[in-house]
Amino acid sequence: MLSKLKTNEYNLVEMSIGGYVTQPSFKNPGYIPNNDGKSVILPGMFGVVNNVKVGDQAFGWAGDHIEPGISIDSENINEHFALHYLVCTGNKALVRSGDAKGSQGIVTGEHARNLVHFEQKILDKICIGDQIDIITHGRGLKLIDFPDIELKKVSPKLLNSMNLKKVKNKLIVEVAMELPIRIMGSGAELNSEYVDQDLMSGDRSLMKKLKIDQMRLGDLIVINHADHKWGRSFKKDHISIAICIHGDSVMTGHGPGIMTIMTGKKSDLGWKINKKANIKNLLKIKL
Amino acid sequence: MKIQTNEKLLVNVSVMGLVCQPNFQSLPAEPYRLDSFGNPFLLPSWGSIVHNVSVGDSAFGWEADCIHPGVSIKYLNEAGNRGLNILSCVGNEATIMSGEVKNSKGIVTGKSGRFSEQVILHFPKKIREKISIKDKILIKSIGVGLKIKNFEDVFCKSLSPQLIKNMKIEIKNNKINIPATHIIPEHLIGAGSGLTSESGSLHIQTTDSSEMKKYKLNNLKLGDIIYVENYDSSYQHGFLRNAWAVGVIGQTNGPRAGYGPGMTILMSSKKNNSKAIIDPKANIINYLNFVK
Repeated sequence: MLSKLKTNEYNLVEMSIGGYVTQPSFKNPGYIPNNDGKSVILPGMFGVVNNVKVGDQAFGWAGDHIEPGISIDSENINEHFALHYLVCTGNKALVRSGDAKGSQGIVTGEHARNLVHFEQKILDKICIGDQIDIITHGRGLKLIDFPDIELKKVSPKLLNSMNLKKVKNKLIVEVAMELPIRIMGSGAELNSEYVDQDLMSGDRSLMKKLKIDQMRLGDLIVINHADHKWGRSFKKDHISIAICIHGDSVMTGHGPGIMTIMTGKKSDLGWKINKKANIKNLLKIKL
Repeated sequence: MKIQTNEKLLVNVSVMGLVCQPNFQSLPAEPYRLDSFGNPFLLPSWGSIVHNVSVGDSAFGWEADCIHPGVSIKYLNEAGNRGLNILSCVGNEATIMSGEVKNSKGIVTGKSGRFSEQVILHFPKKIREKISIKDKILIKSIGVGLKIKNFEDVFCKSLSPQLIKNMKIEIKNNKINIPATHIIPEHLIGAGSGLTSESGSLHIQTTDSSEMKKYKLNNLKLGDIIYVENYDSSYQHGFLRNAWAVGVIGQTNGPRAGYGPGMTILMSSKKNNSKAIIDPKANIINYLNFVK
């Protein structure tokens, strides 16, 4: 258990940052090309998604890049980047304006915007533009006994809930599934402190064969031979752990998105499959 | 002998700021800064609402780059923000004017320099989570123009009458004796040199760990009153033999070269007319009415 693993949790700074509930947006006329080149129009990204939650299926929705719960952002570009760099999964979210003012939610990940979960009765009161402050906590988090394992955007709260085990000087993380490195796609062009990387779900029969189509939003996943320390690249014997944060996509090179939370060498970091390894269960998220 | 000031002639002016957001460099999206050894790092920096770091805490050990304790504010436009930064004085009273904890009282504890330009305030820890980004905070500023009788060539700045009268400053042998926790040699002053001393911060540079030990700077706390030798902050910040400056540690250490704990300058003179009295209790938490 983690209690045997030392962290620098008490040296971390807790800092507030505000984001605003976003409005779904389209570029006129709103169509996107699917894997067969056909134009489709689907809801996805931004806004308040009322019926897709962390813990739900990542595949199958009539949507594209669906972000569960609420997506917040700032139109000020420097604040936008601060939201991406400081907010960690598991952080506390507080509604500061509107009908739901004073309500509390929880950060469930980061895509093009930051994703926040609220219970349904609170969600029903939230309006586009409402200010939501996040008490950020986790940037700079380190495992004292594993200095070469890099943690990203993981709050001490989430880390403490992850059933981490130390087996023969190796850190073992429970994950719901393994993704083969060759299906990792869009997002390889970004640094790994920012946004996510999509798995490429275009080969539908492979998705079915590997049971990747059973992936759930919030699942912890592992990619073998992936080094996500400074970017997202193929590197033998490096391992990256991530959280599934958005739903499937119809576009070539896209699919459900995963957000890196841990990366390191095979000699330090390993995994064990547990289908229940989902942040909904770990963080005891109420719907 | 106690000092006398022109306190009764000072003007009390209200200035306002909004609780500020953290911000990071935008595109190209390379988020890292370099530490003094060339290693990239990505850590929280400057202010917003910092919930778990307060004046009185260590200035070292935080996973942060020159973080501000408590709450930091800024005005909406550049000229107005300059007004906020120049007129606010350490020890001035701050009042929250909007949001859930409207009417709560705080204290000005420091300022930050180029790139962030924020005023740093203390509010009790238990109310910080109720303070919202963009809440309005009003400061009843007083202190600009402060002078010490018979020491008119000592420039006081960012120094409130509330603070100076509790700093235990005395006149002995024609010198003003100022209690301070540490004496900082001029060669350890880094970022801030060359910039204005009326607002902003000046930083101790901490890359050389043996010098840190030699001058016992590793135990610096936020809020400590420190004395800088051979340094003139009468107008801009710069080296001058026999000059001196007194400041308050306003923000934490940081990993960048030339940086370390930041200070807000409170007094300075080109003349050799002061003496530092080492006192480990010379911290503003002992001089002002702080509610933890």
